[in-house]
Amino acid sequence: MKDFTHVQAETGLATHPVAEMYAQEHKAGKLDRREFLVRSTALGLSAAAAYSLIGATPAAADGHRAVPAAGGTLRIQQEVRALKDPRTYDWSQMANITRGFVEYLIQYNEDGSFEGVLLDSWEANEDATVYTLNLRQGVMWNNGDAFTAEDVAANFIGWCDSTVEGNSMSTRMGGLVDPDTGVAREGAIEVVDDHTVRVTYPAPDITLIPGIADYPSAVQHRDLIGTNPADHGVGTGAYEITNYEVGVSATLTRKADHEYWGETYLDEIVFVDLGQDPAAWFAGAESDEFDMTYETVGEFVDLFAAIGWTQSEVTTAATVVIRPNQNNAPYDDVRVRQAIAMAVDNQVCLDLGINGQGITAQNHHVCPIHPEYADVPALAFDPDGARALLEESGNADFEFELISIDDDYRKNTTDAVGAQLRDAGFNVTRTIIPGSTFWNDWANYPFSSTNWNHRELGVQVLNLAYRSGVPWNESGFANEEFDTLLDQANGIQDADARREIMAQIETIMVNEGVTIQPYWRSLFRHYKAGIVNADMHPKFEINVHYLGFEA
Amino acid sequence: MGAFILRRTGVMILTALCLTFVVFFLTNLFPNLEKLAKTQGNARMTDEEVVSWLDSNGYGGPMILRYGEWLGVVPGWTREDEETGEITGRCIDFGMDPADAPTRCGLLQGDLGFSTVSDDEVGNIIGGRLQLTGILMFWAFALMVPAALLVGVLAGMREGSRLDRSLSTFSIASTATPEYVSGVIFIVFLASSTTGLSPMLVELGWLDSGTLFLGSARSAMENITFWNFFLPVVTIALYGMGYIARMTRASMAEVMTAQYIRTARLKGVNFRSIVMKHALRNALIAPFTVIMLQFPWLLTGVVIVETLFNYNGFGWTMVQAASNNDIELLLACSIVAVFVVLVTQLISDIGYVFLNPRIRIA
Repeated sequence: MKDFTHVQAETGLATHPVAEMYAQEHKAGKLDRREFLVRSTALGLSAAAAYSLIGATPAAADGHRAVPAAGGTLRIQQEVRALKDPRTYDWSQMANITRGFVEYLIQYNEDGSFEGVLLDSWEANEDATVYTLNLRQGVMWNNGDAFTAEDVAANFIGWCDSTVEGNSMSTRMGGLVDPDTGVAREGAIEVVDDHTVRVTYPAPDITLIPGIADYPSAVQHRDLIGTNPADHGVGTGAYEITNYEVGVSATLTRKADHEYWGETYLDEIVFVDLGQDPAAWFAGAESDEFDMTYETVGEFVDLFAAIGWTQSEVTTAATVVIRPNQNNAPYDDVRVRQAIAMAVDNQVCLDLGINGQGITAQNHHVCPIHPEYADVPALAFDPDGARALLEESGNADFEFELISIDDDYRKNTTDAVGAQLRDAGFNVTRTIIPGSTFWNDWANYPFSSTNWNHRELGVQVLNLAYRSGVPWNESGFANEEFDTLLDQANGIQDADARREIMAQIETIMVNEGVTIQPYWRSLFRHYKAGIVNADMHPKFEINVHYLGFEA
Repeated sequence: MGAFILRRTGVMILTALCLTFVVFFLTNLFPNLEKLAKTQGNARMTDEEVVSWLDSNGYGGPMILRYGEWLGVVPGWTREDEETGEITGRCIDFGMDPADAPTRCGLLQGDLGFSTVSDDEVGNIIGGRLQLTGILMFWAFALMVPAALLVGVLAGMREGSRLDRSLSTFSIASTATPEYVSGVIFIVFLASSTTGLSPMLVELGWLDSGTLFLGSARSAMENITFWNFFLPVVTIALYGMGYIARMTRASMAEVMTAQYIRTARLKGVNFRSIVMKHALRNALIAPFTVIMLQFPWLLTGVVIVETLFNYNGFGWTMVQAASNNDIELLLACSIVAVFVVLVTQLISDIGYVFLNPRIRIA
């Protein structure tokens, strides 16, 4: 049986002073169980140890996976996109396919805990500046080389290289990157021995563990950093790509003569790309074209349930932002941005955009399930005030071109925003761009919608998307005070202390009218009865090694 | 006859040149190229950077020259990087030594270029897709032509009868219903487990579960069965069928009023053998041209049906190429479309001569 909890109970940390503090907070009701798990496992505690600190026993689903029968072919409906250097992945579907052979150091579980994959265990020092990563023993690359600390160090150096265009890992590495040279800071990454790597931050940073569990952090062979895994096929995982046709399908087959370090069940996984239209997915499901969806959206959640598929739901910090880009006039005027935010009622976006499948948000992109969430309200819904503010800014006749992708909830939500803006007297043109093209220029449209995946901590998405000048800063937001506060928040372990800073950050986000961020989504996935370990993941991750059919 | 075919071929090549130039011109308009530059290069490019990117990637220069490069009559562009001395060019593949590269690489050399969306050579993509569409077209024809001729002949042999009226109504209705309407209706009635026929059959116990037909033809790409392929085939066939049936009916009705048919009836030949032996052959000349002309029509039908049923053939590829600004793939698709249209026209002209002795081609 694949029992990581058991493995970690032996090798993971039994306790940690900060984790004990979290346990106190949890018992005092300040942290809920998910938050507690995220934070204490991020410090290196095993899930079992974390549970024992708060006197709970893991539920059956937490840390224990069912054991499927060996063999079989599973078909997953998911987009098949052209692959590239994993550091530059901008779409979790790419990682879902390559996860079959290029694996990750750590994975984030559905229950909010972290679990070692290529790492056996990890621990942080008390002020979260030094992390010691202990590698799993006996892992082999499928080209015959052993997986060693050199591989991990080479990947860290690759992740830190912000000179590589589109490398989003460099922002996740935070203080490990030397801001002067744009590459890894001297001495930040040390190889201690064959199976130990030490990472040292100049200032406390709590986002390392979530950062290296994220989908662009696939671990490549030490000599193949920066290459496209589809071209060389070298990895530690059990599978290999045997067919790859962009937009049509991809096949992973279990690689012959490669001894995988863990257990795996399926012989073959086929990713079936049925385009962007969920109606086509549903037609495909009725035609038995696949066994499991990547994600089920909108009204199709009910439809898939109606045809007897098993539903899996997870509540997340995944969301849509409809943001003006401040590098474009007139969105550089804060009054215009505020007017846009005031003209839109987030409840309407929730109802029309995703059939109410979620909760409303307050335009600051920090979710109640984040540990450091502070309850800062959005600007009050006031269409008349919005119109007045727009006139005051002198842009009453400006034609707002509101751009979105061509299908599903993103289009509907953007339509809801467009309609409300029109109701408030704005002159709005809606432009719809087809799926694959939309993403090529997503960060630069003057006024458009983007979906953002769930992240474990509130500061993470702010670091990725709203810090001045980072690659994914699609709103063009550049605010020195915000950046400074965010730096502070990144170094504070205590949820309550961080919450005070977060309240200020969230207030800036709201008052600057940075974005309309109307709701938090529940995510759904459907699969046929008898499929095991296919539950929806807050970050859409699919680990093909765990999947299988009921024994 | 030989001279005619030669002349027609000449005209065909000229037409193909004109049509591809039109497509080339439209896909290479500056806004398209600007979009391409921002997609392929950096999305934050300034206008000057866009121009310099286009220049360094062979999209500068006069359009007529680039069209020549694409055709393969003008040597492909090459460019030496001032800083690194690295030579890039249209015909130099990644990692290839510039000295080994051919000077020309275009349509004439069989090089269709590189698809930006699929990250692969256009030549590699389009072959398999065409084959899939070929299969779809074949079955659509195999269903459409016999059915249309049957309906047309039955309707035309007794003009104005009840049979004629009902069959004519059917064929007009089928021609008047475009694929995007009939396809959706078929899916709703025959391929949904919640509405239409399938739940009724399940209730009666005639169907285990699921749907009667499949609303997605994806599985037909590997393994064609009646149940996964019938709906796309019938959707395409039905649209063309009504038209051919109407033409056959008109032709049949005309033949049935001819003198020799009347003579045969007066002589007491039975109706069945009049239709089969005397009328049918003469009545089938006119529909032949119409059938050949259906090929170009089918190409448009294929675009809709393949997208609707998620069958990744040529039509689906064309939609993907167009909506994602994949210029070279779109050009390759247009070449194929032009070729199919012109070749079927030629075949129909030649075939007509054989069928109808009254027509002479000098």
